[in-house]
Amino acid sequence: MPGLTDNLYLLTPEFALAGLAFLVFIIDLLLPEERKDLLGWLSVAGLLGVVALSLVMLPGKEATLYGGLLAVDGYSLFFKVFFLGLGVFIILSSIDYVKLHLNHPGEFYGLLLFSILGMNLMAQSRELLTAYISLELLSFSLYVMVAYALNNAKSNEGSLKYIIIGAFSSAILLYGISMVYSALGVTRFEGISAALSSITDLRPALWVGLALIMVGLGFKLAAVPFHMWAPDAYEGAPLPVTAYLAIASKAAAFALVLRLLSEAFVPAADRWDQWQIIVATLAALSMLVGNLVALAQRNLKRLMAYSSIGHVGYILAGAVALSTDSLLGANGIIFYLVGYSITSIVVFAALIAFFNATGQEEIPDLAGLADRQPFLAMAIAVSFFSLGGLPIFVGFTMKFYLFTAVANAGYLWLAGLAIFTSLVSLYYYLQVIRQMYIQPALAAPATDAADGPGEHPPAEPESEHTHTPSHHEPSGDYEPLPRPSALLLVVMVLGLVAVVGLGVYPAPLLELVEGASAAILPGG
Amino acid sequence: MLEDYFRQYGLIAILALVAVAVPTSMLAFSWLASRVGIRPANPTPVKLETYECGVETIGGAWNRFNFRYYLYAILFVIFDVEVVFLYPWATKFIRLELFALIEMGVFVAILLVGWAYAWRKRDLEWGS
Repeated sequence: MPGLTDNLYLLTPEFALAGLAFLVFIIDLLLPEERKDLLGWLSVAGLLGVVALSLVMLPGKEATLYGGLLAVDGYSLFFKVFFLGLGVFIILSSIDYVKLHLNHPGEFYGLLLFSILGMNLMAQSRELLTAYISLELLSFSLYVMVAYALNNAKSNEGSLKYIIIGAFSSAILLYGISMVYSALGVTRFEGISAALSSITDLRPALWVGLALIMVGLGFKLAAVPFHMWAPDAYEGAPLPVTAYLAIASKAAAFALVLRLLSEAFVPAADRWDQWQIIVATLAALSMLVGNLVALAQRNLKRLMAYSSIGHVGYILAGAVALSTDSLLGANGIIFYLVGYSITSIVVFAALIAFFNATGQEEIPDLAGLADRQPFLAMAIAVSFFSLGGLPIFVGFTMKFYLFTAVANAGYLWLAGLAIFTSLVSLYYYLQVIRQMYIQPALAAPATDAADGPGEHPPAEPESEHTHTPSHHEPSGDYEPLPRPSALLLVVMVLGLVAVVGLGVYPAPLLELVEGASAAILPGG
Repeated sequence: MLEDYFRQYGLIAILALVAVAVPTSMLAFSWLASRVGIRPANPTPVKLETYECGVETIGGAWNRFNFRYYLYAILFVIFDVEVVFLYPWATKFIRLELFALIEMGVFVAILLVGWAYAWRKRDLEWGS
């Protein structure tokens, strides 16, 4: 048996990431207050370095570390690069916001880096307690980040709810782990699957334990009926943190759930048949509640929260389709995660740009955005169309793959429900688009004289756009917004290119995704 | 084996019962004694005061604690945990190789970052 530390070098990217986080904390102590945005750039450069390091060191490596606690394989490499990339984009879109609205930038970036480390380990762990500790590394960073707007009561309220529910769900998860251990005597995923398929007497402790684990993870995923914390935490958190919660933490939780299901539950085929019903119920409830309640939202962050609950439902529906002899379900889930994340980054970059310019985050505030800042309106519209699942955008492709997998697995009703709720979701996405394109801009507030130096010339390209002034009479009475900063523009343009590019030509990404899912479902 | 393990919970249950029974019986006995008239009942303000290690009580029990106690507690825990790891490492130091020395160096360095952080952020100064 190899020693525990023989292939420790395979964790070099993780060590580098942890070192980077510490470096950010240390440099933060030395930098004067006005140079702190250097830390954001340092984090971005470091993350890119870690991506390069992983891509050089890890492809083709298949190994387990620490006696089977962590896996280095195609799946973990895929998610590592994915999470690091998400981190880069989240930091790029938050640098301006942090400078304008938040104190303590050093800790912001440092905590972000630590949480990315936790996400990487979540995708790698093949053992329940390791998975739990990685999850807590992510959650602890997020608890602090949600409360980052110190003087904002909503931020504090959201964080308090988040930390209480988070601690509660962690306790449930841990209790479940202990029950499973008491019944099976193992916590490794492959041990669980072996024990599940060979066990003859079904102890109640085992079922209770597995159920508690699912409930604990359900809280972390914000799947209905464990979703109540999500809207408040999303609304209270500063916008970049909301983006991070909605995108990265969700993707990481699914990376963990996907590996857990595929390695621990799916191989025990008889038991998995029974469990599919439960996952399917969670999926159906999440789709329905998330999308229906989203119809009633006025705040953009709450809208995104409920819409993300709906998306959790779709992805859980994909999890129902996991099986040992087909990769379709796993492929669909991973592709969906990537597509959803890229699209949401565009949405949130645009919302951050809008908030930086106006300080507003309600849906009616977006009225007339198409006239005030056409590019922002276009970015939001395209990404909402994508989230709603309209073709030529990645949203259509990802939903197509995922729902096909669900239908192929024999869950036609679930696929049908997913399509139906997608249509519902289109309604509230279109409501926002209607605000931006059809609703006239609210009359400019009487502060025109106040912004003298920062005044921007009225956007001239107005006339080039195929925009008919007929649908609102009081034309010309709006106040153009300043252009989004170059950083946010870069994020949005890259994101939009990916949203359209992956929608039209998803093959290269699908190839990578298949490699990743083959690593966790070797039978497929 | 697991059954034996669970049986131990029976002992814990017995202990819990005893733990509840002892103070309850004391209170009950005291109450009974006062009903029968064995126990005199003449409360004075001094008797009714909160017991605070024998010295005279200062203030109410509901006053707020300075938040800084919390920071000190956290810092204390950091070094506490450090000792928990350092002690077994130190007892086996002769037999461990260079790798263990480096690992402990990394561990202490990480804790030092936390300590330097607290120092630089003025969390060690009571006054500010």
